Amino acid sequence: MCLLWNLPKMSSRTWSLFWGSRFVKTPLQNGIGRYVQQLQRITLKFCKTHGGSQGMRDYIEKELIHFAKENPGVVVYVKPRRHRSPCLKAEYLNGGEEYISMHRLPADDIVRWMAYLRGRSGYPTDRIRKDQHTDHPSIQGPWTPWLHRDPQTNVAQYPNEDLSCVEVMGRSATEELREMFKKQKLVSSYKRSVES
Amino acid sequence: MSAIRRVQQWATFGRMWYLYDAKWQNPFDSADKIKEYISGTHKPIYHPLNDCGDHVVVINSRHIALPGMEWERRVYFHHTGYPGGASWTLAWELHRKDPTLVVRKAVYSKLDKNLLRRGKMARLHIFADDEVPNSILENLSGQIRQLRAVPKRLDHYTDEEIKSFPRIFDWPKDYVIPN
Repeated sequence: MCLLWNLPKMSSRTWSLFWGSRFVKTPLQNGIGRYVQQLQRITLKFCKTHGGSQGMRDYIEKELIHFAKENPGVVVYVKPRRHRSPCLKAEYLNGGEEYISMHRLPADDIVRWMAYLRGRSGYPTDRIRKDQHTDHPSIQGPWTPWLHRDPQTNVAQYPNEDLSCVEVMGRSATEELREMFKKQKLVSSYKRSVES
Repeated sequence: MSAIRRVQQWATFGRMWYLYDAKWQNPFDSADKIKEYISGTHKPIYHPLNDCGDHVVVINSRHIALPGMEWERRVYFHHTGYPGGASWTLAWELHRKDPTLVVRKAVYSKLDKNLLRRGKMARLHIFADDEVPNSILENLSGQIRQLRAVPKRLDHYTDEEIKSFPRIFDWPKDYVIPN
């Protein structure tokens, strides 16, 4: 993670060339029906005297016991070492490892980083192309260009005047007038026939 | 992949051929509509990485209707690259040289400016009149509706239609219609 701060600005395309991109997935359909803890072992390394480890020491004093109780499947190691900066090292079921420096971080932040490492799958982080994934894309079947299309278009001869012209919404004033004129003529012819 | 899935794939990503009659249509408004078809944004499966554009065959591009004073006012710029190589061509001049070019340039300028633009333009087939080669006609599977109704001129009506049209008043018999 620390490496990334020094990288120059790059487009997502260049980024993907180096760091890759993938679709959303979970190892062995984890979490569907049952959940298998992917984090197997976590090692908290710190120094007993240096100020940079103050947050880590606070965390071990107050919070670590709760983490260990809530996650009985995770082996927690605490490893004091003289005059070295603190870090978290997580090891996962698939053999993946992650190392995060905890230098000068307060205990609150370490709580969050522990939660982050616990939720990881152990696979390297990539840019995710799409937020969703499904093994059963559609029950009705995928869309095709012929879906909900008028069957008349399959047998029509092109160019086709009816399929090309604008769909008329309502009648124009001219058509209204002609209609009225027709009715008037009918009425007057009826009257004339009655009179005669 | 089973045979059914393979056919399903062909059906979903099959390229359709649409016809568009440009007669009496504004080419710049039409370009907005044609753009959707040749870049595939009219489909629910559209995705920027997904090559799903359709072919559009434009006919009667000679009979387009430009709005307002555009025939005289619209100017097309070209530069050969050599000193003094700039040239400005009015829309009516360009249309006289090549009656498909106004539509082509209208669509080209409406498309997104990226490397896919030439590929999308290759799916646009423009014909000056309504004569289309048979090899293209047999591909057609749909027609895009025009944006505006094509007006009908008085001399296109039959004499009967003109005579049966209701008159508000009759001219006096001795009235001379000035021409």
